[in-house]
Amino acid sequence: MKTLAKCFLIASALSFAANSTAQSDASRGAEELKIAAMEALITAPPDRALPLVNKVLAGDNSNELKGRALFILSQIDRPEAQETLLKFARESSGELQEEAIRMIGIGGDPGTLSALKSVYESGNSEAREAVLEALMIAGDKKAVFEIALTATGDDYEEAVDMLGVMDARDELRDLRARNGASEALIDAYAISGDFDELRKMALDGSDPGIQAQAIEAMGIVGGDEVNSTLVQIYRDATTEDIREAALDGMLISGHDEGVLELYRTTEDPALKKALLEMLVIMDSDEVWNIIDSALEGGL
Amino acid sequence: MKDDTDELIARHRENVHKAPPHLVQQWHDAIDDAAALERGRVAVRQRAWTPGSLFWGMAVTAALALGVAIGVFVSDDTTPNIVPTIAHNSAQHDVVPAAFSRGLQYHLRESRQQLSALDVDADRTMLVLQLIEQNRLFESAADKNNAPNLARVLRAFEPILLRLAATDIAPEDATALKAQLTFELNVMLTKLASEPSDEAHST
Repeated sequence: MKTLAKCFLIASALSFAANSTAQSDASRGAEELKIAAMEALITAPPDRALPLVNKVLAGDNSNELKGRALFILSQIDRPEAQETLLKFARESSGELQEEAIRMIGIGGDPGTLSALKSVYESGNSEAREAVLEALMIAGDKKAVFEIALTATGDDYEEAVDMLGVMDARDELRDLRARNGASEALIDAYAISGDFDELRKMALDGSDPGIQAQAIEAMGIVGGDEVNSTLVQIYRDATTEDIREAALDGMLISGHDEGVLELYRTTEDPALKKALLEMLVIMDSDEVWNIIDSALEGGL
Repeated sequence: MKDDTDELIARHRENVHKAPPHLVQQWHDAIDDAAALERGRVAVRQRAWTPGSLFWGMAVTAALALGVAIGVFVSDDTTPNIVPTIAHNSAQHDVVPAAFSRGLQYHLRESRQQLSALDVDADRTMLVLQLIEQNRLFESAADKNNAPNLARVLRAFEPILLRLAATDIAPEDATALKAQLTFELNVMLTKLASEPSDEAHST
C-alpha cells in the first residue's frame, strides 16, 4: 500500500476512535483501534507520523494512548520529536512525565539527555527516579555520577545503586574515595561485580558492620576466587558476626563445597551443627552421607 | 544432636528436588521489594539475608543466580539461546548485521508470544525472569553489533519486566504492563522488518 494511503487510514482510525461516543465495550474497541493505528505509525515517514503523534498527544486521549505515542516519538529521529518528549518531561506530571523521561533515555539524544538534569533538580522523587532510569537506559554513566556527587540521603543511594546496575566501577570507586564506604556502595559493588573492592572492605576490620556487609555481598559476585576467600574469612574469623557473614556469603554464592569442607575440618560441635544446618538449607548432595555419619556418631 | 538430626532429615525429605521454600520466599520478597523500589511507591521491607537495601539490579542479579537454578526444578522447558555469535567487525558503523537482526526479531517474537501466554493471576516470576535473562543477552549483543538504539530499547524493557515479575502487583497493573510491552515489542518488530541490515556480516 502506498505510504500516503496508509497514513490516511491511520489518521482515519485515530479520528474515528476520537469521535466514538458508544458504550464501554465500544470505547474499549475504539481505544484498541487507536493503539493499533499508533503501532502502524512506525512505518510512516517521520514527516507524516509526527503531526499525527502530536495530535494524539494534544487531544483528549487516555494516558495509555499518549504513552504509546511517546514511544513512537522515541523512535523518530527528528529534533521535533525530541523537543516534544522534553516538553512532556518538563511540563506533564505523573505517568506521562515518567514515560516521557523514559523515552528520552530510549531515544539517547545527547542534547535531550543533558536537559534531564534540570528535570531531575526540579522534579519529585518519582521524576528523579525516572531520570536515573532514563540515564541507565541511555548508558550515560557520567551523568549519573554527577548526580551522585551532589545528591544526599535517599537520592544519593539511588544514584549509587544505579551506578551499580550500570557496572560503573570506576565511578563507584571514586565515590568511595570521596565519601567513604557505605551500605549503598557495598550493594553497588556487588551489583557491578567489583570483587576487588569488596575484598578490601571484607578484610578491613576497622568497621565491623561494613566488613560484615562486604563479606555477605561477595556472595552476590560469586565465583571460585570469592568462594575461596569466603572460606578463608570463615577460618580466620574472630567474631561470630564475621563467621556468620562468611556463611551467608557462601549461601548466596551457592558454595556448598566450601561449607562441606569447613564441616569436615571443624572440631567445635556448635560450629559443626551450624554448618550442617547450612548444608541442609543449601540442599547439598552430600547431606545424606553427613547425616548418616552424624547418626552413627561420626561427627 | 540426634534430635536435631531427625528434624533435619525430615526437612531434607520435604525439600528433595525443590529449592528451600524460605529461599524461594526470600527471593520473591527481593523481587517484590525491588519492583516496589522501581515504582518508587512502597517502603522496603527489612530482610536479613542480603546486605542492606536491595535495589532492583541486585534483585535480578540474585534472582537470576538463584532463580534460574531453581527454574531447573520447575520446568524442563529451556528457551533456545539464539543470540547470534557475530564478531564485532562491521565496517559500516550504522548498519546492523543481518544475522543479529534476524536473531533479535526471533527474540522479540518469542517474548511477545510468552507474554501473551502469561497468566496475570498465576505466579509469573519464573517465566518473566527467563525473559529478562534472554533480553540481557540480546542487549549485550546489540551493543556489540552496531545497534546502540536497539540496546537502549532492550534495556528499557527490563524495569518493566521486573515490575511484571513482582508477586504483589495487582492483576490489572500486570495486564497494563503486558499491554505496554506487547505494543513496544510490536513496534520494534515492525521497525526491524522495515530497516536495512548488513547481509555481508550475517552468519
